[in-house]
Amino acid sequence: MDSHYLKQIQAFYRSHKRMPSYSELMAVVGFRSKNAAYKLVERFVQRDWLDKDATGRLLPGRLFQDLPVLGTVSAGFPSPADEELTDTMSLDEYLIGNKEATYILKVNGNSMIDAGILPGDMLLVERGADPRDGDIVIAQVDREWTMKYFRKRGAAVFLEAANKDYQPIHPQEELKIAAVVRAVIRKYH
Amino acid sequence: MAPLSLHDFPRAILHIDGDAFFASCEQSRRPKLQGRPVVTGKERGIAASMSYEAKACGVTRGMRLAEIRKRCPEAVILPSDYETYSLLSKRFFAIVRRYTPDVEEYSIDECFADVTGLRRPLRMSYHQIAERIKHDLDTALGFTFSVGLAPNKVVAKIASKWAKPSGLTVIPGRELHQYLAQLPVEKVWGIGHQTTALLHKHGVQTALQFARQPEAWVKKYFSKPFYQIWQELNGAYIFELVTGEHDTYHTIQKVKTFTQPSSHREFVFAQLAKNIENACIKLRKYQLATERVLIFLRSQDFHDTDLEMDLSGPTSFPNDILHVVSPAFVQLLTPATLYRATGVILCKLSEASYGQLDLFGEVIRLQRLSNLYESVDTLREKYGKHTVFLGASFLAHTHAQHEGDRGHLPERQHALLPGETTRKRLGIPMFMGEVR
Repeated sequence: MDSHYLKQIQAFYRSHKRMPSYSELMAVVGFRSKNAAYKLVERFVQRDWLDKDATGRLLPGRLFQDLPVLGTVSAGFPSPADEELTDTMSLDEYLIGNKEATYILKVNGNSMIDAGILPGDMLLVERGADPRDGDIVIAQVDREWTMKYFRKRGAAVFLEAANKDYQPIHPQEELKIAAVVRAVIRKYH
Repeated sequence: MAPLSLHDFPRAILHIDGDAFFASCEQSRRPKLQGRPVVTGKERGIAASMSYEAKACGVTRGMRLAEIRKRCPEAVILPSDYETYSLLSKRFFAIVRRYTPDVEEYSIDECFADVTGLRRPLRMSYHQIAERIKHDLDTALGFTFSVGLAPNKVVAKIASKWAKPSGLTVIPGRELHQYLAQLPVEKVWGIGHQTTALLHKHGVQTALQFARQPEAWVKKYFSKPFYQIWQELNGAYIFELVTGEHDTYHTIQKVKTFTQPSSHREFVFAQLAKNIENACIKLRKYQLATERVLIFLRSQDFHDTDLEMDLSGPTSFPNDILHVVSPAFVQLLTPATLYRATGVILCKLSEASYGQLDLFGEVIRLQRLSNLYESVDTLREKYGKHTVFLGASFLAHTHAQHEGDRGHLPERQHALLPGETTRKRLGIPMFMGEVR
């Protein structure tokens, strides 16, 4: 059914050279509620068939980019390349899960040096995520950010550096975990 | 007491408001600032936003920095970092749009959202939807939001203000009267000093007393907007949400403060010309043209003088506007007065099109200007804002906007990552401070 809807939206895109609004979308796919159209969009965005801009308007997703060229025959065989490309993702999509909760920061210290995180490295961190044992987290200790392994032993939690010179931190009060580290970026030059 | 409305949520409207938004953006990315009084707006010389700790010290919006330092010596005063605030504002709206497409971006730190009919698809009550949105916002952005849920915009605004900060207040139609009974009428959105004074004369003190006035009385003494407010206070849904409408503008405004204050005629004019150029950049970005221009000058003691003038036809080019503005500017400027800011408002906007034929070669001239500015805009996109600018604004470009202490740039502009430039940075907000 969804692929049928997709075809209808693609047809709209081909004839109008733009994406439909939500109310147009309702007409195009024959829905009577905006919410149904909205859910359809959400589903398609999930699958990367569609995109939305910051204001929520529809943008053509990957399946709209190379529409007419799919399978053009030049040397006897259809080129599978374009079709295959629909299953690739950008570096942004690869590195960032929860887009609205992801922040960047720059490492100064060397407390995680044995985990391969060096001063000057950049981190992509996710705010508000639930840390699991063994995650590298950004915690707030004495009004400073600190980056450590999050360790959980039964009900007790503590922070551990990846550097023998640092002692583990056993929090006296509630431990404030600001974010969980999702990726490390080291850019040369 | 009889209820004002017998229906709880004929429509379910949320008003969501970031608590001390700019100051919170700063506190949430710098643990050093948490729990301390923080004020933003250093570059303007007045408080633009203050944290709740600063509010507790008596700092109010618009207060001058000298006054703030006196009242609250421990306050941390920061320059505004609009780049970061805008990034976080976009995230704010994107998170609300996870739940409903009907979102009105009312300002950088507040929005309305219509969640009517979403109980079944989301399998949650309206109250739970509001809770979930608040939870998502608080955790993703690292500071709190206040949420109001009500049958319309006017009451949703009352609800979100009810328990600030970090409040969630639900006002169903049937309980409306209990809230309005406790609310002074001047606290209602849209009711200003004049209207309050008139209401007081008629013995109306609370929002409930206003809501209980007979319809005929309201229509007799007040204009339509107040009648509409009266209707909403009675639980009706009148003010529609303006959703996703930010691809066009009714007016475009550019105001900029500069330090030191100046009485130098060419310098003040250059500041104004720069504002006009900036306003025209925005105009062209949205393919609009203006027909009426308002300019104003703000003196050192915060006294504004302004002049409004019509242009001979719609235009998107600063040359045309300056042509009309320069004689007006001479009229406006009082010699030997120190000015601290200039501003321009472009009104009567319409879609830009220069196709109409005329007798005087105006089309050809506009076509030339249009070609010229197409190149200027291309250069700007490639090499940065103001790569090419008018001679009139030269003095505003050769001087820093702010001299001395207030000229501090936001920290993010110094904390560049490898590969970033002062002009282009990653569109991801940054945690600041040492990470050990």
